[in-house]
Amino acid sequence: MDTAIRNTIRRLRFDHGEMTQQELADKIGVTRQTVNAIELGKYSPSLEVAFRIAAAFGVPLDQVFQYDGDRTASEKKKVRRV
Amino acid sequence: MTNQRSPLSFREKSAWISLVSLVVVFGTYFSHIGMVLAGLARNRFALFLLMVAVFIIAEVVLHLVIATQSPRDARTPKDEREQLIELKATRTAFYVLLVSAFGSIGTVHLRLSDPDDHLWLMMQAILFSIVLAEAVKFARQIVLYRRDA
Repeated sequence: MDTAIRNTIRRLRFDHGEMTQQELADKIGVTRQTVNAIELGKYSPSLEVAFRIAAAFGVPLDQVFQYDGDRTASEKKKVRRV
Repeated sequence: MTNQRSPLSFREKSAWISLVSLVVVFGTYFSHIGMVLAGLARNRFALFLLMVAVFIIAEVVLHLVIATQSPRDARTPKDEREQLIELKATRTAFYVLLVSAFGSIGTVHLRLSDPDDHLWLMMQAILFSIVLAEAVKFARQIVLYRRDA
Protein backbone atom coordinates (compact mmCIF):
# COMPACT_ATOMS: atom_id res chain seq x y z
CA MET A 1 0.00 0.00 0.00
CA ASP A 2 1.37 3.43 -0.95
CA THR A 3 2.00 5.90 1.85
CA ALA A 4 0.81 9.52 2.02
CA ILE A 5 4.40 10.71 2.00
CA ARG A 6 6.10 11.66 -1.26
CA ASN A 7 9.86 11.79 -1.53
CA THR A 8 12.56 13.02 -3.85
CA ILE A 9 15.15 10.36 -3.04
CA ARG A 10 15.49 9.19 -6.61
CA ARG A 11 16.19 12.74 -7.82
CA LEU A 12 18.59 13.38 -4.91
CA ARG A 13 20.49 10.17 -5.65
CA PHE A 14 20.81 11.27 -9.26
CA ASP A 15 22.04 14.70 -8.19
CA HIS A 16 24.62 13.13 -5.90
CA GLY A 17 26.72 11.44 -8.55
CA GLU A 18 24.12 8.79 -9.39
CA MET A 19 24.41 7.30 -5.95
CA THR A 20 23.11 3.72 -5.92
CA GLN A 21 20.43 2.47 -3.55
CA GLN A 22 23.06 0.24 -1.94
CA GLU A 23 25.38 3.20 -1.27
CA LEU A 24 22.53 5.14 0.32
CA ALA A 25 21.49 2.08 2.31
CA ASP A 26 25.03 1.69 3.66
CA LYS A 27 25.12 5.37 4.67
CA ILE A 28 21.86 5.27 6.59
CA GLY A 29 22.13 1.75 8.03
CA VAL A 30 19.24 -0.08 6.35
CA THR A 31 19.02 -2.70 3.60
CA ARG A 32 18.88 -1.82 -0.09
CA GLN A 33 15.38 -3.32 -0.26
CA THR A 34 14.24 -0.88 2.43
CA VAL A 35 15.67 2.08 0.50
CA ASN A 36 13.81 0.78 -2.56
CA ALA A 37 10.55 0.49 -0.59
CA ILE A 38 10.94 4.03 0.80
CA GLU A 39 11.80 5.43 -2.64
CA LEU A 40 8.73 3.82 -4.21
CA GLY A 41 6.50 5.16 -1.40
CA LYS A 42 5.68 1.65 -0.17
CA TYR A 43 7.14 2.19 3.28
CA SER A 44 7.29 5.27 5.52
CA PRO A 45 10.58 5.33 7.41
CA SER A 46 10.92 6.27 11.07
CA LEU A 47 11.78 9.86 11.86
CA GLU A 48 15.35 8.83 12.66
CA VAL A 49 15.89 7.13 9.29
CA ALA A 50 14.23 10.07 7.52
CA PHE A 51 16.72 12.44 9.18
CA ARG A 52 19.60 10.12 8.28
CA ILE A 53 18.51 10.19 4.62
CA ALA A 54 18.36 13.99 4.66
CA ALA A 55 21.79 14.12 6.32
CA ALA A 56 23.22 11.73 3.73
CA PHE A 57 22.24 14.20 1.01
CA GLY A 58 23.07 17.27 3.12
CA VAL A 59 19.60 18.81 2.69
CA PRO A 60 16.74 19.68 5.08
CA LEU A 61 14.16 16.99 5.79
CA ASP A 62 11.38 18.75 3.86
CA GLN A 63 13.46 18.64 0.71
CA VAL A 64 13.42 14.86 0.90
CA PHE A 65 9.90 14.14 2.18
CA GLN A 66 6.61 15.92 1.57
CA TYR A 67 3.34 15.02 3.28
CA ASP A 68 0.59 14.27 0.77
CA GLY A 69 -2.12 13.27 3.24
CA ASP A 70 -4.36 16.33 2.86
CA ARG A 71 -5.13 15.56 -0.75
CA THR A 72 -8.19 13.48 -1.52
CA ALA A 73 -7.85 10.14 -3.26
CA SER A 74 -9.21 11.58 -6.53
CA GLU A 75 -6.71 14.44 -6.41
CA LYS A 76 -3.87 11.96 -5.96
CA LYS A 77 -5.11 9.98 -8.97
CA LYS A 78 -5.16 13.18 -11.04
CA VAL A 79 -1.60 14.02 -9.98
CA ARG A 80 -0.44 10.52 -10.87
CA ARG A 81 -2.07 10.76 -14.31
CA VAL A 82 -0.23 14.03 -14.94
CA MET B 1 20.59 4.78 -10.94
CA THR B 2 19.32 1.36 -10.08
CA ASN B 3 16.50 -1.02 -9.72
CA GLN B 4 12.81 -0.40 -9.40
CA ARG B 5 12.15 -4.07 -8.61
CA SER B 6 14.31 -5.81 -6.00
CA PRO B 7 15.61 -9.33 -6.33
CA LEU B 8 15.01 -11.55 -3.29
CA SER B 9 16.70 -10.16 -0.19
CA PHE B 10 18.58 -12.39 2.25
CA ARG B 11 15.68 -12.23 4.73
CA GLU B 12 13.14 -13.14 2.08
CA LYS B 13 15.23 -16.10 0.95
CA SER B 14 15.52 -17.10 4.60
CA ALA B 15 11.72 -17.00 4.99
CA TRP B 16 11.31 -19.12 1.85
CA ILE B 17 13.81 -21.69 3.13
CA SER B 18 12.07 -21.94 6.49
CA LEU B 19 8.62 -22.21 4.91
CA VAL B 20 9.59 -24.88 2.38
CA SER B 21 11.61 -26.88 4.94
CA LEU B 22 8.73 -26.74 7.38
CA VAL B 23 6.11 -27.78 4.84
CA VAL B 24 8.19 -30.59 3.34
CA VAL B 25 9.51 -32.06 6.59
CA PHE B 26 6.41 -31.75 8.75
CA GLY B 27 4.11 -32.44 5.79
CA THR B 28 5.84 -35.83 5.58
CA TYR B 29 5.51 -36.32 9.32
CA PHE B 30 1.81 -35.43 9.49
CA SER B 31 0.96 -37.56 6.45
CA HIS B 32 2.48 -40.46 8.44
CA ILE B 33 0.34 -39.47 11.43
CA GLY B 34 -2.69 -39.50 9.12
CA MET B 35 -1.81 -43.06 8.12
CA VAL B 36 -1.48 -44.01 11.81
CA LEU B 37 -4.95 -42.59 12.47
CA ALA B 38 -6.32 -44.54 9.50
CA GLY B 39 -4.76 -47.70 10.89
CA LEU B 40 -2.39 -48.05 7.93
CA ALA B 41 0.85 -47.53 9.83
CA ARG B 42 2.30 -47.86 13.31
CA ASN B 43 3.22 -44.84 15.38
CA ARG B 44 6.96 -44.42 15.71
CA PHE B 45 8.36 -41.72 17.96
CA ALA B 46 11.71 -42.12 16.21
CA LEU B 47 10.13 -40.63 13.09
CA PHE B 48 9.38 -37.43 14.98
CA LEU B 49 12.98 -37.18 16.18
CA LEU B 50 14.23 -37.90 12.67
CA MET B 51 12.02 -35.19 11.18
CA VAL B 52 13.18 -32.62 13.74
CA ALA B 53 16.80 -33.50 12.96
CA VAL B 54 16.18 -33.26 9.19
CA PHE B 55 14.47 -29.91 9.65
CA ILE B 56 17.35 -28.47 11.68
CA ILE B 57 19.96 -29.76 9.23
CA ALA B 58 18.01 -28.41 6.22
CA GLU B 59 17.66 -25.01 7.88
CA VAL B 60 21.34 -24.77 8.82
CA VAL B 61 22.71 -26.00 5.48
CA LEU B 62 20.40 -23.89 3.30
CA HIS B 63 20.99 -20.78 5.40
CA LEU B 64 24.74 -21.35 5.10
CA VAL B 65 24.34 -21.53 1.33
CA ILE B 66 22.48 -18.21 1.07
CA ALA B 67 24.80 -16.60 3.62
CA THR B 68 27.75 -17.60 1.42
CA GLN B 69 26.05 -16.04 -1.60
CA SER B 70 25.46 -12.72 0.15
CA PRO B 71 27.68 -12.55 3.25
CA ARG B 72 27.19 -8.84 3.79
CA ASP B 73 23.39 -9.13 3.91
CA ALA B 74 23.68 -12.11 6.25
CA ARG B 75 25.82 -10.12 8.68
CA THR B 76 23.63 -7.00 8.53
CA PRO B 77 21.21 -6.79 11.47
CA LYS B 78 17.51 -6.53 10.66
CA ASP B 79 16.54 -2.95 9.92
CA GLU B 80 13.32 -1.26 11.09
CA ARG B 81 11.24 -2.36 8.08
CA GLU B 82 12.34 -5.98 8.45
CA GLN B 83 11.56 -5.89 12.17
CA LEU B 84 8.12 -4.47 11.41
CA ILE B 85 7.47 -7.22 8.86
CA GLU B 86 8.51 -9.85 11.42
CA LEU B 87 6.23 -8.32 14.05
CA LYS B 88 3.23 -8.23 11.70
CA ALA B 89 3.84 -11.83 10.64
CA THR B 90 4.21 -12.97 14.25
CA ARG B 91 0.91 -11.28 15.17
CA THR B 92 -0.91 -13.15 12.39
CA ALA B 93 0.72 -16.42 13.45
CA PHE B 94 -0.34 -15.84 17.05
CA TYR B 95 -4.03 -15.80 16.08
CA VAL B 96 -3.57 -18.98 14.05
CA LEU B 97 -1.88 -20.63 17.02
CA LEU B 98 -4.62 -19.45 19.36
CA VAL B 99 -7.44 -20.90 17.24
CA SER B 100 -5.69 -24.15 16.40
CA ALA B 101 -4.58 -24.69 20.02
CA PHE B 102 -8.23 -24.41 21.11
CA GLY B 103 -9.07 -26.84 18.32
CA SER B 104 -6.48 -29.23 19.75
CA ILE B 105 -8.34 -29.27 23.06
CA GLY B 106 -11.39 -30.42 21.12
CA THR B 107 -9.65 -33.70 20.23
CA VAL B 108 -10.57 -35.03 23.70
CA HIS B 109 -14.16 -35.33 22.43
CA LEU B 110 -13.20 -37.64 19.58
CA ARG B 111 -14.21 -41.27 19.96
CA LEU B 112 -11.11 -43.41 19.87
CA SER B 113 -10.86 -47.19 20.25
CA ASP B 114 -8.21 -46.74 22.94
CA PRO B 115 -8.94 -43.83 25.36
CA ASP B 116 -5.21 -43.61 26.10
CA ASP B 117 -4.74 -42.36 22.56
CA HIS B 118 -6.36 -39.05 23.46
CA LEU B 119 -3.17 -37.73 25.00
CA TRP B 120 -1.12 -38.80 21.97
CA LEU B 121 -3.64 -37.27 19.58
CA MET B 122 -3.77 -34.00 21.50
CA MET B 123 0.02 -33.85 21.47
CA GLN B 124 0.01 -34.31 17.68
CA ALA B 125 -2.70 -31.65 17.32
CA ILE B 126 -0.71 -29.16 19.40
CA LEU B 127 2.41 -29.92 17.37
CA PHE B 128 0.38 -29.38 14.21
CA SER B 129 -0.83 -26.03 15.60
CA ILE B 130 2.74 -24.90 16.20
CA VAL B 131 3.87 -25.97 12.74
CA LEU B 132 0.85 -24.32 11.12
CA ALA B 133 1.45 -21.05 13.00
CA GLU B 134 5.11 -21.04 11.98
CA ALA B 135 4.20 -21.75 8.35
CA VAL B 136 1.70 -18.86 8.39
CA LYS B 137 4.35 -16.59 9.90
CA PHE B 138 6.87 -17.31 7.14
CA ALA B 139 4.20 -17.08 4.44
CA ARG B 140 3.03 -13.71 5.77
CA GLN B 141 6.63 -12.47 5.87
CA ILE B 142 7.07 -13.43 2.22
CA VAL B 143 3.84 -11.65 1.25
CA LEU B 144 4.90 -8.50 3.12
CA TYR B 145 8.40 -8.55 1.59
CA ARG B 146 6.90 -8.94 -1.90
CA ARG B 147 4.30 -6.22 -1.38
CA ASP B 148 6.95 -3.72 -0.30
CA ALA B 149 9.54 -4.78 -2.87
